[in-house]
Amino acid sequence: MNKNIVKKSILYILISTISLIIIIPFLYLTTVSFSNTLEVNSYPKRLIPRFRETLVVEYNLDEEYYSISRKNASGSIETIYIVYDFEQTSKYLKDSLNLNVGKDKLKEDFLVAKETNEVIEVKYKKTIFNNYIKFFKVFSGSDKALFNSIKAALYTILISATFGGAIGYALARTKIKGKEAISMATLIVRMFPIVSISVPMAVLLIKYGMFDTMLGLAIIYSIPNIGLTAWITRSIFLSVNKELEEASLVFGANKRQTFIKITTPLVLPAFAASSMYAFITAWNDTAVALLLTDRNQTLALVIHKSMAGSSSSMHYAASGAILLILPALVFTFLLKDYINKLWG
Amino acid sequence: MNENIKQMFKSPYLLIVPSILFYLMFWFFPVILSLIQSLEAPTGGLSFINYKTMFQGSDFKPAIINTLVFAFVSLIIQFFIALGLALLINTNFKGSKLFLFIMLIPMALPQAAIGIMWNLGLQQTGWINSLFQKIGLQSLLETIKVVDGRIVWKNTSGMKAVFLLILIDTWTVTPSIMIIILAGLQNFNNEYKEAALVFGANKLQSLKDIVIPIIKPSIITALLLRLISGLQVWLISVMIFGHTRIPFLLERVVYYAKVLTSSHSDKIAVSYSVVTLFIVLIVVLTFTKVFKGKDWREE
Repeated sequence: MNKNIVKKSILYILISTISLIIIIPFLYLTTVSFSNTLEVNSYPKRLIPRFRETLVVEYNLDEEYYSISRKNASGSIETIYIVYDFEQTSKYLKDSLNLNVGKDKLKEDFLVAKETNEVIEVKYKKTIFNNYIKFFKVFSGSDKALFNSIKAALYTILISATFGGAIGYALARTKIKGKEAISMATLIVRMFPIVSISVPMAVLLIKYGMFDTMLGLAIIYSIPNIGLTAWITRSIFLSVNKELEEASLVFGANKRQTFIKITTPLVLPAFAASSMYAFITAWNDTAVALLLTDRNQTLALVIHKSMAGSSSSMHYAASGAILLILPALVFTFLLKDYINKLWG
Repeated sequence: MNENIKQMFKSPYLLIVPSILFYLMFWFFPVILSLIQSLEAPTGGLSFINYKTMFQGSDFKPAIINTLVFAFVSLIIQFFIALGLALLINTNFKGSKLFLFIMLIPMALPQAAIGIMWNLGLQQTGWINSLFQKIGLQSLLETIKVVDGRIVWKNTSGMKAVFLLILIDTWTVTPSIMIIILAGLQNFNNEYKEAALVFGANKLQSLKDIVIPIIKPSIITALLLRLISGLQVWLISVMIFGHTRIPFLLERVVYYAKVLTSSHSDKIAVSYSVVTLFIVLIVVLTFTKVFKGKDWREE
């Protein structure tokens, strides 16, 4: 009995440690993405993001100005700004602290310090998504890159689904020869390192007029994904109950109707799953996009390059990274149950 | 019985033909083209001059060594952690679903985002040092005189840096190996294991002689996939150390194709591509030969 408790405690300590190791880096990234400029440059960094700022305001009677102080990371109060002009101050607070406070509101709030002649604390809410908006401003072209990423992903889905779906259907439902060879080939292309053909591919795409286009990228992304889609759809076409289709035909539906009304809904989950894989391949890739585009960047590429920028834009880069992560995260979780079936 | 559906298409081979053309045009042709390009001399004609330049470059040897060390060492570390975790989750302890959920996070992250994440961490005032400070590890390391002040992670070089990258990679991909092994375990009939235990095998023996051999196909798949992507490491290295500091094969491809821009550097990039491709091929073939499992796609 006692031994059991010890065993259990050890298990849960182990599990919690591993969970923390996984979560903490991600949490820090998220926190940086919500941090203002002062927080980004502070040390040690906060683990949990803060959504409010407390400013300590003091009025200097002799010199007639307000001073704004703030508790820094090591816990001491540090003067960060001297107020001469409220419009300037409002701008400063917006740029460095992500606080969106109008000059009139500031004047009104600060007046208390002047009238009472005491040190007062004012609390403001941070504009939470400020860094996310700034990301698109600081890294110019990232809005277009976002659009490009979606476009490349959609093309990849389309190409993989049509080509791969056709192979999957042929393998499952027709009596073609060489099925073994074809399924082996789908496996090989799935494992093929696509980056290593990207350099010669550049020459080829220039010739076809598809260099620096999303269609060009999608073609490369489709190379492993056609194989994958073929594999997934093959197994679903095999598992769809043929009697349902036959019944439909018996009841007078023609072949096209049967295919659209009966077969398609049944195989849709397989296409959804393989589409998500295709999306993730296209969305997450950096290497191929780097080698095969010039002006038309993808979002991942912008994020990759953002690190080369100055360290003063780190928190914007982090916001961009979070934007890049979100769709990939959603699709991976949706695919969770599929991953097992896929490799089982 | 299949006739009706079959008639929808005049010939079933029509379903395959577009894909065959696609692969000929966009897969087979580029592979051949890369071979040809890598053999094209700058002065025209065929020669091994590009390969010679590549071999003689001071970055070639470290690139090969780093890549192989990275791929194999990370594979070994990640495999054992993943196997342990998969066995653990398979015991279905309370909260194992949640744990699995958490484990999925690193799998989902795009490489570029992972680069940002760890770059922010490895800066001198980054979150890793912040964390060390907060949990008291920093002062502990200082008292035992391992470090003097904050660790400057980005100054690590050579094999140490490769191992730092291996650690980051372990964080990133161990869950995906775990998932594949777990899938194998969940299809596995527990009665075999119980029988072994009844007949007097201890837990370790039953693991080694019963469980592992039965889930071998999933393990081989997981390891093979991992090995292939391990050999293709480059982005994380570039995002943390920049180009050239820690050369890897694909890092060299990108470097010669994108960073250096002379007409000849393109050829070197292609040569590196071909070498990478061959190494991947050789590794995959040897690997499947050594761990000759059945066709792991078929259940």
